[in-house]
Order: sequence, then C-alpha cells, then structure tokens
Amino acid sequence: MKRHLGSRKAVGIAAASALALTVTACGGGNDAGRGGDAAEGAPSPGITDTSVTLGITTPLSGATAGPGTCTVAGVTAYMGMKNAEGGIEFGDGKTRTVEIEALDDTYDPQQAKANYDQLKDDVFAMTAGLGTPTNRAWLDAAIADEVPQVLIMTGDPIFSETEQSPWQLGFVPIYQNEGEAFGELLATSTEEHKVAILAQNDDYGEGYVEGFKSAIEGSDNIEIVDELTYEATDTSVDAQLTELANSEADIFFNAMSVTPLMISALQKAQQLGWTPSWFLPSNTSSPTAILEPGGAAAYPGIYSVSFSKAPQSPAFAEDEDVQTYLSALKDYGNYPDPPAFPHCQWSWMVGATLEQAFQNMEEPTRDSFMEALRSIEGYEAPLMLPDTSVSTGEDGQPAVSTVVVQKFNGRGYDTVETFE
Amino acid sequence: MGEFVQLVVDGLSTGSVYAAIALAIVLVHSATGLVNFAQGGMAVLAAYVAWVLTNQSVPLVVAVLASIVFSFVLGAVVERYLMRRFERGDPDTAVVVTIGLLTLITGIAGWLWSYNNQQFPSLFPLDTVSFLGVSISIRSIGTTLSIVAVMIVLQLLFVRTKLGLALRAVAINPQSAAFSGLPVERLLMVGWGLAAVLGAVAGALVAPQLTLTPGMLDNALVYALAAVILGGLTSPVGVVIAAWMIGVLENLAAVYVPFIGHDLKIAVPFILLFVVLVVRPQGLFGRKTVVRV
Amino acid sequence: MARVMTAPASSPSSPSSSWRRRPWVRWATPLLIVAVLAVLPLVGTEFQNETLARIGVFAVAVLGLNVVMGYTGQVSLGQIFFLGFGAYVTAYGVSQDWNIVLVFVLACLLPAAAGLLVALAAARLGGLAIAMVTIALPIVGVPLAKRLNEYTGGSQGLSARFAESPEGSGLYDDQWTLYLVIAIGGVVFLLTHFLVRGKYGRAFAIVKGNENVAASMGISPYRYKVLAFTIASAIGGVSGFLYMLVIQYTSPETMSFGHSIELLAAMVIGGAASIVGSLLGGAFYVLVPQLTNQVDASLTALLQGAILLVVLFVLPGGLASLPRALTRGRRRLRAGRGPAAPPTTPSSTPGSGTAAEQPETERQGHA
Repeated sequence: MKRHLGSRKAVGIAAASALALTVTACGGGNDAGRGGDAAEGAPSPGITDTSVTLGITTPLSGATAGPGTCTVAGVTAYMGMKNAEGGIEFGDGKTRTVEIEALDDTYDPQQAKANYDQLKDDVFAMTAGLGTPTNRAWLDAAIADEVPQVLIMTGDPIFSETEQSPWQLGFVPIYQNEGEAFGELLATSTEEHKVAILAQNDDYGEGYVEGFKSAIEGSDNIEIVDELTYEATDTSVDAQLTELANSEADIFFNAMSVTPLMISALQKAQQLGWTPSWFLPSNTSSPTAILEPGGAAAYPGIYSVSFSKAPQSPAFAEDEDVQTYLSALKDYGNYPDPPAFPHCQWSWMVGATLEQAFQNMEEPTRDSFMEALRSIEGYEAPLMLPDTSVSTGEDGQPAVSTVVVQKFNGRGYDTVETFE
Repeated sequence: MGEFVQLVVDGLSTGSVYAAIALAIVLVHSATGLVNFAQGGMAVLAAYVAWVLTNQSVPLVVAVLASIVFSFVLGAVVERYLMRRFERGDPDTAVVVTIGLLTLITGIAGWLWSYNNQQFPSLFPLDTVSFLGVSISIRSIGTTLSIVAVMIVLQLLFVRTKLGLALRAVAINPQSAAFSGLPVERLLMVGWGLAAVLGAVAGALVAPQLTLTPGMLDNALVYALAAVILGGLTSPVGVVIAAWMIGVLENLAAVYVPFIGHDLKIAVPFILLFVVLVVRPQGLFGRKTVVRV
Repeated sequence: MARVMTAPASSPSSPSSSWRRRPWVRWATPLLIVAVLAVLPLVGTEFQNETLARIGVFAVAVLGLNVVMGYTGQVSLGQIFFLGFGAYVTAYGVSQDWNIVLVFVLACLLPAAAGLLVALAAARLGGLAIAMVTIALPIVGVPLAKRLNEYTGGSQGLSARFAESPEGSGLYDDQWTLYLVIAIGGVVFLLTHFLVRGKYGRAFAIVKGNENVAASMGISPYRYKVLAFTIASAIGGVSGFLYMLVIQYTSPETMSFGHSIELLAAMVIGGAASIVGSLLGGAFYVLVPQLTNQVDASLTALLQGAILLVVLFVLPGGLASLPRALTRGRRRLRAGRGPAAPPTTPSSTPGSGTAAEQPETERQGHA
C-alpha cells in the first residue's frame, strides 16, 4: 500500500507518456507547415484533384455562439448545395467538392490560435470565423505560415490592409464604413439635430463612432450632445439611457452588438419618454428578433445599414435567392429555424465569393487562390441588396465595403437616400 | 434630482436581477455549505421548460408553476445522484463539480434549443408608471417586489421554522445533525430542491428582460457571486442589500464621477465594500463566528 | 468554498516508499525525466509541440493557483488576472524592444508586486475578503485593460512574436518555443516543488489546516498567506510570459472571469496540492477542448461538462489520485466484497481532501 502511495514520480512519467500519446492521437498531421519550402506550383495542403478543405474557427458555444453558429451554417449550406450539384469547377479545369472543418473557439483568442494550429496543415484556407480578438490571435502566425485567412467576420480594418496583412481579407464592411454611411445620410438633413451616442467599449463601438463623426464633420446643424459607453458583458444599460435621455437628443446613435441589451434599450428609452430617431448597426437590427420585442414602432425612425436581404422581411418572401438560401440552410447547413442573425446570410455570401475565387484560380496553390480572390470586381453575390457588391481589389477595404442605409417600415426595411 | 432618483431606481431594478440568483446561492450555501455555480444554469433550464410549455399554448402562470415543480425534482435529483458523492469531501471539489454541471447544462440547453435569443413572455406588463419625474416599468416593480417577498420568506424559513433550523444544522455539522435524529439526506435533497425552485422563480422573473439563451445568467452570475460574498454568504437580507448596492452604486459612480465612467463602475462597490470589510471582517450582515482551536 | 479545511495536505507529508528510496531509482528518475523532456521537442510534429507548449503555459498557471489555494487553502478566483498582467507586461516590453531577460523579470516582478499589495490588504481579513478581492480582479481587470489602451492596445490587443529559433540551432520555431517552455516551466515547477516540500510548505499546510493552531505554533497565518499569494502571483506572471511566448497575442478576453473559473476547475481536476496534479490540470485545460472539438464542435460545452463530471465522479481527488484509487481498487479485489478500505492517510478526517474514502460514497461510485 505504502509502496504504491509513494510512487508519485513514476506516475508523473506514466502520465507524461500517456499525454504524449494523446497528443499524437489528436494531432496526427504532417509537418508540411514547417518551413513552407514547397516546390513552385506544387499543390498546397488541403487540396487534391477532387476536393478542397476549408477551416473555420468561430464561437460555437458561449455568449457569441448565436452569430458564431451562423458563420458556419451559411457557408456550409452553400458548399453543401454545390457539392450536391457535383462540386465547383476550378480555374485549373478540375471539379472539386468543398469540405468544411469548423472548430469551436468560444470567443477565446487562445483557443482560436490552438484551433488554427490544429487546422493549418490540413486545410487549404481559413475563412468565415467571427470575432476581432479571435482572428487577431493568429494573424501573425497565418502570415508567417502563408495560410489564407480570408472573408472573415470582423470589421477590424487591419485585416484589409494588404501591406500589413498579405494573407488576410475581411468580408464585412469595416465598422467605420457603417457609421460613416449613417453620418452621410444625416448630413443630408437641413434641420438642427442633437445626437446622443452609446457605443460598445471596444474596437467595434469605437469604429462606428469614428466613421459617424468623420461623416458629420463640418455639418454645423449636427451637434453631438452626449457620448457614453457600455461593456459587452453588462446585464443592463438603464443608467446610460437615463443619462442620455436627459440630453434631449433627437438622434440616438447606438453602436451596440448585444441582442438582449438592444431590446432592453429600445424598451427603456420608451419608458423614459425619450423617442429619438435611432441608428442601429447591421448585426443588431433584425425586425423580428429585435425591433418587434423592443417595440420599435414607438420611434419616429429606426435606421440601419445593410448589404444583404433580410429573409424575414415580407419584401423578400417571394425572392428566389432567399428561397434557395433558406432551403439550403435547412438541408445542408444544419440550421432548421429561420436565421436569427444576419451572419447566416453573410456566411452564405462568403460561400459564393469563395466560389468566384475558385473558378479563377489557375493553380491549386494558396498563392494562386489569393491572387484570384483579390481580383473580384463588382460581383453581386446572392442575397446582396441593389447598389452593393463584392469588390476585393481596393487596399484598405474588405470584400464588401458598400452599404445602403435603410429605414424600418414596421415590418421590414426600405432603402432611403435622405434623412426625413 | 430627477436623474438621481431615476438612477437609484434603475440600480435597484438591475440589482434585483443579481439578487434573484444570489438568494438561490445563499439558500444552497445555508443548506449544504457549498457555493453552487450551476444555480444560474438550473434556473435557465427551468425557464426553457416554461418557455417550451408556453409555446404549446399553456398559460404562462401554469407553465411557470410546472417549471417550479420540475426544478424541485431536478434540484433533489442533482443532490442525490451527483452532489452527495462530494458533500463530505473537499469543498473545492464540490464547487468545481457545480462548475462542471453549469457547463453541462448550458451545453444541453444549447443543443436542444440553440444559442439564439428567445423571447420569454413577462409575468408583469411592461407599462410604465411615473411619479416625481421618475419612470419605472411595472415589470421592474413586480420583479423587485417578488425578490423582496422571496427574501422575507427565506429569512423567516431559516429563523422561524423547524425546517430552516434543521437545514442549517445539517449545513453546519452533518454528523451532529444525524446523531440528533435529523433525516440529513432527505434534508439535503429538500435544500437543493428549494434552491432550484427559487432559481426557477428568478429565471422566470428575469428572462423577459435578458431574453432566453443558454448563457442568459452567466454575466448576472458573476455579479450575484459578488453580492453573495459582499453580503456575507449566510444572510438573505444581506445579499439582497449587497446586490442592490452594487446596482445603485455603480450607476451613481458612473454618472457622477466622470473619471470612473461606465467602464470602470463595477470597481466601485468592491472598493467601498473592501473598506467596509476592514471595519467589519465578517461581511456586512454575516454573523461573527467564534473559532475554537 | 468558504469552509475551512481541517486537514493538512496529505501529499507533502506522505511517507516515501522503500521502492523510491533505492539509490538507483532516486538517480534514474530525474535523469529519465530530463532525457524525455530533452528529446520530446525533436520527435513531435509541429502541432504536437505547440500543444505541449500550451499545456506548459497552463500547467504553470495552475501551479501558481495551487500554491495559494491547494497548498495554503486560500480561495483565489482571480489567478487569470496575474497571467493576463504578465502577458501584457511581456507584450508591451517586446513592442518597446526591451531586452528579453528584463522583460521576463518584469513579467514576474510586476504581477508579484500587484499580488503582494492585494494580499497585504486582503489577507488580514480572512477568507471572505480574499475571495472578494480576487473575484474583483478579473472583473475590473478587463475594463481596466481597455481603459489603458495606450499600453495594452485596447480591445484589439497586442501581438508579439519573439520566439524565433536562433540562427544555426537547426531547430524549428515550435521546437525552440517548446524548449523554452520546458526550461522556464521546469525551473518554476522545481522551485515550487522544493518550496512546498520545505519549511514554507509545512507552514502553508498548517495555515491551511487551522490558522489558530498555526498562530499558537508561532507561525503567522497573515505572513504566510501574503507570501503564498505573492508567490502565486509571480508564478501567474511567469505563465503570462509563457502565454505570450506560445500564443503570441493577448487581449482583455485573456483575463476574463470565465477563464479564471476554468483554471480553478483544472486545478481541482488535476489534483489540489499536487505538483503532478498541476501538470495534469494544465493538460486537461488544453486537451479537453481539443478533444471535444474533434468529437463534435457544436457540442463542446455539453461534452466538456460531461467529461469534467465523469472524471471527478470517478476520481474526486483529481487525476493525480489515480494511482491511489487503483491501489485501493486492487486491495478491495483481494479483500473480496467486504466494506471499503480504511482511510489511506492517517491525517484524514471528514472534510479533508479525500472524499472517496467515505465508505458510503465509495459504494456508490463502484455500484
């Protein structure tokens, strides 16, 4: 008995060996990533003559799992549909099916880096993942390993600076673009406006506010009367709204990405008897999931920016794009319910954009893929609204850089040109 | 002045959300001597049960009552088949078991009902009443009053009833309790069941505001834990007041002390209460215990 | 959690075996460990090396938590704060091109100083205050990191790559990184091993067991609590340095409260008050998400919760107690189906760290 009790060190060694075995079993990859000295023109990892594998690291559990699940569902549905049709014909003349390997990072940068390390030798490119810190965590590593990190769901501008990020490309508009679009709309107004701002205390909120401010610069009729922040982990923003309501602003610019907080903000302002016109970001303006429970009808105007058709909107109920999308989402995307977050639509467009790049890449290499991806011009992806398109050539801009401003009409959104 | 009062009222209503979870944690702690991290998770599960029922057009009150019954059974089952193995062991291990339980329950809820936000119908209307320039929704008043009622019932339960006395005896010293003829095992199950019931009530009260997701109470749980620690772990009145203090103080500090702002406001209750602890080491309302060597 | 533990930690005082006393074993064991560690980075694939390096990072973090919580019995909910602090110091120092040795020293000293300050104030007040202050650290730390964006890069975080393998070494970066992790982590583990086996370790155990007894023996609970907390913070800082070395990026999310709780879980699962347990805890922290991702990426939370519960249900003393559990199992087989074995350690009392020794729970687990 005592003999065994004391043998802790031996146990340590045994445990370490067991550990090494586990790691071996989990890993099992090859060493292709080391050095990256593959011969010119030889196929990159993750691509064969009949298939190509894409990797995604995104939150699939935890607080951001809702939109995170969508980022996988859309592109998986799109590729599933294409695979069912026989695959995609690539620029080198070969037809390949597309496999997707998605891993959960719980919005933890450390886990995202681990997922990247795990995937990098098995996948051709990384795509579609949600989150600024989780994508930044392996930005440098992806550059060093020359692994494409493209069409990702963050509005952080760094991913679209070709100089700094040669192997990266963002998909959604940078946050500044969205804020700017609304600022420009407001600047068309000739009346006096007082603006109250509430922004998430991170690059998301800051980007929106920065873009908005740059657009209204020089408009003497627009005055920012109060500006506050909140934390994404807050359970309530009542105090901020109480403070902002006292500013008696007639415009409320609310750069908020948290669904329940947005709903309770819409409710709270009404209780306080404060009914300004609202600006909402593209990812928290769903008519059914946010505006309806928030009682948005009480406000004179709810504005948002968008580049994708909202499947819930009656205007698009008969739309062919939307119907194809919804049925594929159910059949191939493992997402039976109507999508609650626009990320599902965005991810679907990522699939379509990837297809464009695949069709134009002439060699099965990551270099050729990046080149093809960077030369898409004015592509109207399915589900895109009129006046928006995918253009990847412009340095400093993500794949989608144009948005249209829309106004809530009680059930869905209409595109507007001027502030009324 | 109107703004000040409004901020206090807002803080009380936010604090009530924390208090709801904190009370359930105190109940389990008083009955078993453990801090239960899964309390919020169990409350979320109960809220999902009620939500599923309302979707089958069961009236809300009936659905909530059903979820309360479900919770009592869930709490008792968890105690009997999971926690009992750990109750007399290292308390740290038992706490980590509750962390594992929280992860598991969250995962189950996400698997069954997805991570999307679901609308949970409110027990109280969202209409607003105004007095003295202060607006407050009937929902907030209803939530706050319900919390106060639960707090009073709990306080009475522990101080005035035989059941409460027995529960406390079991928590403090299970062996002596057993020697004096108390049915310790059944009491532990009842304690967990009651705490789960309390969690179900809390879940139904706050779900309309937070919207129902598997992680609905994760952020609130952190504040609830803070309230439990600040309030002194044993006193229902203490933790409710601590939860309200967190809500009110952080609002006032954020608005009236520009340097603190809305980002660092959460530090204020901790700093103030740390100062309090220097004066009263047993917590605001905790009992001073005499330690024998 | 706030319950005072009444039994001293069993492992530091556990009697050495005759098997281990044999001279060749005493020599060969450490040599074997060193040899395995020296060869390990050369034989693994890139991903295996990266995974082992990550395990090293979190093993050190768990070890720090073990010093204050496992060995000294003080509840700490904020260990992740010191990891984050160390990571930020490292990232900032690297971005300013400071000498890397200086950066390392600062990454230990600054978190240690912060820990010392916190402990000086909180340890005087007993368990409740330490729990309160430590829960506040990550909660306040996250917005504070965003507020100090001049130094921390705000919510976008800081990247730093400083582990490129030296010219002419012939090593790949991942091998070099793993060697650094093994060397630094190894030294920390060794120092901690000697600390907890020595007179400080005994004092920690007495403070954990009963503060009044400690005081009556002339051991100041206050001083030793402050000491344990400061050492834990310094080790946390080291783990932050290693975090930057391996993950190469930090942001406010690094120090979120959830991760602090995960560290605590990893400590208990590995085995509280155990050096080997800290290593196993780090492995659990890193490998379980990896494993659940392989099984089904959309069910990770469910699977992780289930794995945690199953492990603790089978081994309430943590993974490090596996040999003890096996021994007992074998003994019971020999003894037939009689009642369970007597407590394995003489010091064991109800409320000690060995729940499995309770006869009635024993039956449940093996029914």
